[in-house]
Amino acid sequence: MLEIAQLSKTYESPGRSVEAIRSLTFDVAAGELVCVVGPSGCGKTTLLRAVAGLLPASGGEVRLDGVPVTGPPPRMAVVFQEYGRSLFPWMTVWQNVELPLKEKKVPAPRRRELVTQSLESVGLGDAARAHPWQLSGGMQQRVAIARAVAYEPQVMLMDEPFAAVDAQTRADLEDLILRLWRDLEVTTLFVTHDIDEAVYLGQRVIVLSSSPTVVMEDLKIDLPPERDQLGTRSLPRFGELRGHVYSRIQAARG
Amino acid sequence: MKAVRLLGLPVLLVLLWWAVSGGSFYLPSPDRVAVAFAETWFSDRLTGDVLPSVGRLLAGYALAALLGGWLGVPIGLSPRLRATLEPVLEFFRAIPPPVLVPLIMLLAGIDTPMKVLVIVSGCVWPVLLNTVEGVRALDEVLADTCRMYGIRGWPRVRGFVLRGASPQIMAGLRQALSIGIILMVISEMFASSSGLGFTIVLFQRQFQIAEMWSGILLLGLLGLGLSLLFRRLERWVLSWYYGSGAARA
Amino acid sequence: MRRLLHGLLGLTGLLALLEAAPRLGLVDARFLPPASEILRTLAGELTTAGLWLALGETMRGWAVGLALASGLAVAAGVVIGVVPGLRAATSSTVEFLRPIPSVALVPLATLLFGPSLGSTLLLVVYASFWQVLIQVLYGVAAVDPVAHDTARSYGLSAWSRVRHLVWPTSLPYVMTGLRLAAAVAFILAVTAELVIGSPGLGAEIQVAQSSGAVPTVYALIVVAGLIGIGVNTAVRLLERRVLAWHPAVREEVAG
Repeated sequence: MLEIAQLSKTYESPGRSVEAIRSLTFDVAAGELVCVVGPSGCGKTTLLRAVAGLLPASGGEVRLDGVPVTGPPPRMAVVFQEYGRSLFPWMTVWQNVELPLKEKKVPAPRRRELVTQSLESVGLGDAARAHPWQLSGGMQQRVAIARAVAYEPQVMLMDEPFAAVDAQTRADLEDLILRLWRDLEVTTLFVTHDIDEAVYLGQRVIVLSSSPTVVMEDLKIDLPPERDQLGTRSLPRFGELRGHVYSRIQAARG
Repeated sequence: MKAVRLLGLPVLLVLLWWAVSGGSFYLPSPDRVAVAFAETWFSDRLTGDVLPSVGRLLAGYALAALLGGWLGVPIGLSPRLRATLEPVLEFFRAIPPPVLVPLIMLLAGIDTPMKVLVIVSGCVWPVLLNTVEGVRALDEVLADTCRMYGIRGWPRVRGFVLRGASPQIMAGLRQALSIGIILMVISEMFASSSGLGFTIVLFQRQFQIAEMWSGILLLGLLGLGLSLLFRRLERWVLSWYYGSGAARA
Repeated sequence: MRRLLHGLLGLTGLLALLEAAPRLGLVDARFLPPASEILRTLAGELTTAGLWLALGETMRGWAVGLALASGLAVAAGVVIGVVPGLRAATSSTVEFLRPIPSVALVPLATLLFGPSLGSTLLLVVYASFWQVLIQVLYGVAAVDPVAHDTARSYGLSAWSRVRHLVWPTSLPYVMTGLRLAAAVAFILAVTAELVIGSPGLGAEIQVAQSSGAVPTVYALIVVAGLIGIGVNTAVRLLERRVLAWHPAVREEVAG
């Protein structure tokens, strides 16, 4: 479905070049939820932007259904970390969710249906007429998620979407993502710096080295498919996996 | 209490005006100016001089706003175009707009087109440069969001570029408004036979002092009225901006 | 470096356009002389004493007017800002007087002073006074209430509070006001000369225009633009210098 092959990125500026990503190869099967975790400053955001087609790679390629990605693919949605800056402040919640659908020329009745459903599914059915800045951070990120969901993407990319919300909100949003992923069967690539979050959410966790980045490990998470905040996190296996990823990242920092 | 705060000083100042104006040639008393105001401006001067002046101001201002926005968006979006044109634009902005009046008289005569052109030539720069600045500083995450969701072309300009730059564009429009009023008056002080600026200078030349003061008062009221109108427009256009607290940050 | 190159390219392009348009007959050369002729006239003008005298007059009106307006505005702003209740009492008057376009005072200036420096000063002072005053008021309002309470609880006198608390806090705002006022003052100085005929650059332009010396009109406008750039740059440098110690070289306050 989504293949990343020998992807590399070097930032060139006059008299200086910085190798951010040396070479990354992994793939994400259809309907899979894969988490990418790595030490801070390891080029996670660079990777995600390259996958999204927002940033041209220096070498290698990203393929979606076998087609190389050269610009943002039509059926891909991104949820950015900076929720406060990814929503249009001059539009209401409803308009924010509806805008990409208008651009896709979705007919009005279907549009209404999609926006209503997606807002309901993130628990914001009542907030449609509010402006983003009237909502809390967690609610704003829900709007961004609803916008991605309404877009009916094949692939959903998430760039540390919960890095800037408080712990309780974060747990709620993690379960929201799991539920949406299961209901919609959408292929998801979730980038985070939080090891717990990666292990809790992912079917697989890709551990990255520090920059210049390579894949250190592609780890299958053999936890039961049904996850819940209390039960899953207290399983001995969860602790083992977390400890394993943690030690790999520590080694990467080395 | 609020009324005292609001009106206390103005009433005091008018009383002071009354006190010092006794017998002064240059400063007629407030009641004489008030009478002159009513007699002068609630007459066919309103339709013959005042309204045409305001009409020209609004026409020139609107043209300048359209032109400034229309040119500012592409310049702001293209770094290369911006680097090329910036010194030229800075130069044009630095020219005090009134010195263009004699020049534009050469090119466009002394009738309405000249006056409107004068207003456009002065108002366009603040709008243009502020638009460029606003477009340049658009949020990158929002720009990425547009790319991701395939928002491009005119919907992108209307829904993202213009709205995102609107705080700066409005700041430019506010500067342009005060320049526009100045140019409206000045363009009528040169080789003109009608209009607000012409009439006020005429009163001064004929030593109709109370009428002259009433004209100054009218210009003040016009300036005040337009600035209040503009503030309402700004509150409306930028409600999201004030609401989101971005204005304070 | 690249930016500089692009900028030069832009300026060259403008000159080339101004040269080509009249030469190719696209516009009437009587109304828009070729760039080379404008520059030649400009070079000629720069060697005459008349232009320099006129420039001196303009800059004198600008500088004296700006200094007067700033001094008055800072004094008034600090008093209004510091004395309790004064701000509320004056705000309606300030809001009324501020939008009065200063050119409305042209007839009054003509009547009182005729074509002289006095007219220039009246217009310049009126226009720039409000720019500075509004910023000073913002500045005084920005004094941290906790700092203010601290100063009071340590028994600092009113004068010390102004000197050590209010003034340093409002200085960046004062500089912003000064920068805005400097540009406005230059516009009004030239306007007074142009319309009333007070000696200076504006009057020279008016004379050149009425005598049909078109290239001279253009040359003088170029001079006006260059002075305008000079004024902006000078004030910006001053601002940076005065505020070098300041932790936050402030963003402009919307006003």
